[in-house]
Amino acid sequence: MIHYIYDGSFDGLLTCIYEAYYRKEAPEKILFQEDDQENLLVRKVYIEQDKVKAEKVYAAIGAKISRNALKNVFYAFLSEQEDAGSLIYRYIHLGFKIGKAIDEHLSDDRVLDIYKTVQRVTKEKHLMLGLVRFRKLGENLYYAPITPDYQILGLLAPHFAKRIADQNWIIHDMGRNMAAVYNQKEWMITEMMLEKSVDIIEEERFYQQLWQQYFKSIAIKNRINPKLQKRYMPKRYWSNLVEEI
Amino acid sequence: MEILDKLKVLSDAAKYDVSCSSSGSNRSNKKGGIGNAHMSGICHSWSEDGRCISLLKILMTNYCVYDCLYCVNRSSNDIPRAVFTPQEVVDLTINFYRRNYIEGLFLSAAVYKNPNHTMDLLTQTVRKLREEENFNGYIHLKAIPGADERLIETAGRYVDRMSINIELPSTEGLQLLAPQKKREAIIKPMKMITAKLHEKGEEKKKYRNTPKFVPAGQTTQMIIGATPDYDMNILKLSEGLYNRYQLKRVYYSAYVPIGQHPSLPAIAGPPLLREHRLYQADWLLRFYGFQAKELLDDRKPNFDIALDPKCDWALRNLEQFPVEVNRADYEMLLRIPGVGVRSAMRIVAARRFAQLNYEDLKKLGVVLKRARYFLTCKGKYYGETSINEERIRYQLTLGDPVKKDILGGEQLSLFSVYPQLSPQKETLHSIVRDWS
Repeated sequence: MIHYIYDGSFDGLLTCIYEAYYRKEAPEKILFQEDDQENLLVRKVYIEQDKVKAEKVYAAIGAKISRNALKNVFYAFLSEQEDAGSLIYRYIHLGFKIGKAIDEHLSDDRVLDIYKTVQRVTKEKHLMLGLVRFRKLGENLYYAPITPDYQILGLLAPHFAKRIADQNWIIHDMGRNMAAVYNQKEWMITEMMLEKSVDIIEEERFYQQLWQQYFKSIAIKNRINPKLQKRYMPKRYWSNLVEEI
Repeated sequence: MEILDKLKVLSDAAKYDVSCSSSGSNRSNKKGGIGNAHMSGICHSWSEDGRCISLLKILMTNYCVYDCLYCVNRSSNDIPRAVFTPQEVVDLTINFYRRNYIEGLFLSAAVYKNPNHTMDLLTQTVRKLREEENFNGYIHLKAIPGADERLIETAGRYVDRMSINIELPSTEGLQLLAPQKKREAIIKPMKMITAKLHEKGEEKKKYRNTPKFVPAGQTTQMIIGATPDYDMNILKLSEGLYNRYQLKRVYYSAYVPIGQHPSLPAIAGPPLLREHRLYQADWLLRFYGFQAKELLDDRKPNFDIALDPKCDWALRNLEQFPVEVNRADYEMLLRIPGVGVRSAMRIVAARRFAQLNYEDLKKLGVVLKRARYFLTCKGKYYGETSINEERIRYQLTLGDPVKKDILGGEQLSLFSVYPQLSPQKETLHSIVRDWS
């Protein structure tokens, strides 16, 4: 049995797929970190990221399978699931055989597994489009902390760059110490760590208070249903909200 | 009055408006502007009642010249009153939007002084947002029945969606509970908007760029359970509104008991389950190719409390089942309980490559708990019982009779869950008290 180990980057993963074809090997798993268990039957192969090879695989997926398959592969990668690499490999392998019809083979586990993973990432991305809460820190500077399950920062940034194009903003993924930063022209992803919590100015406190009031008074008392509320908006996302729940 | 107090009063008064949808418009941001609309809409929060918060939903004012019995803002009700200025609404909207609290604004109003004055205030506000603030986010505006049509039309050029509330399902209901509101005044602007939308559609075929007019269409809302109307009449009304006026949505709002009056039903809580059944049926009209008359008729004018409308329909039309999933056309697949629009489309796509097994159906998103009684897979039937109405009904209502979170606070009796055990047939009449 062969396990491919890569550096955790998207290009690294695509390089693994290139190598699997080039070397005519069929790796059992493609992992971004070694699993702790030593196994005598497993041969570990470390794959080094190669931009040129990755680019070839990227182009091949787009041309031989579909644009949608490319999106699926990327979203599945962003899930950071331990088996994401292996699932993607199996999916692409099938895709190169049957081409763009692959996404209609939902009864095939190789497609269904990717599909479910992609759905989880897509769902969280859509939810976060609504749940991101900016705090105004100073003259036209807005800051929003988030702690998503998946690495969706790069999916959120284009939305806000279009929407609140006339303000400077930072979306901070606190779990991953990364941030999307926008300066009214373009956005970029950078490393970021906060030494201390941000200070809230008077104007910001005023609008937070208004929002909290609105949040409270918009609920219909005869219909209180916290279970339903939690189902739509899971508790793990509450810590970064402004609402007082 | 402080802005915080105004917000409290005027959001409190707006909360019975159900719609919070922000979908259907693809308005994009302009250079130097703020905001855009998202085609499928975005929810930004969920309040304690589990309803989505997408828009800043407020009234311009809750001062009202009307005295409709079912409404909290009725003139005879002793509650705090307030009026926003257009600028105050604009500031709230922009500042909430910049912090990503909301997807846009849903502005409504009680009838302040007279319909024209009210409509003018609303129009001023949305014009300010679009022209002065260059705001391109979503705006849903209530049109005030009885206001000058030119005012309503002007407002339509600034907003994404407009709605006029039909209020109650029947003219008799309107006469009884809201005698100052006239059905004609409600229908007229609705017609006007439909005509205008049609005109825009024609214009668009000729010219590439035409100014927008309510691109996300119009909707309406009615209160359920304040009048003794049958579900059948309500559903037929909705069907008419969809077909004749091309409404995007009809919203149903379970009547929340807010006052006592001989003309109002005495109920403990809002009839949430009935509201839920109507929404399910509404979906069947819009996405599943059903007609109102198939779902309900004079012999059975109200929905079953224990079963969803589709299961109920299937049980009354068992001769059309079981359906072979590998052969049935899309329209028939849609009619199988437990099969939705998505799973039906997936079945049609997936079976082109291989005959589907029973196990495959689950992967495609079919809810087998219900579907198993109504389909065959490669000729095999998977329901434990024979195809018999009573037995399937028993199986479907067993164990998981009605989902708790849908029920909310509503109490169900044993008889309403298992009507076959009930001595009296009309269980709904105990919920919607019959009076005359």
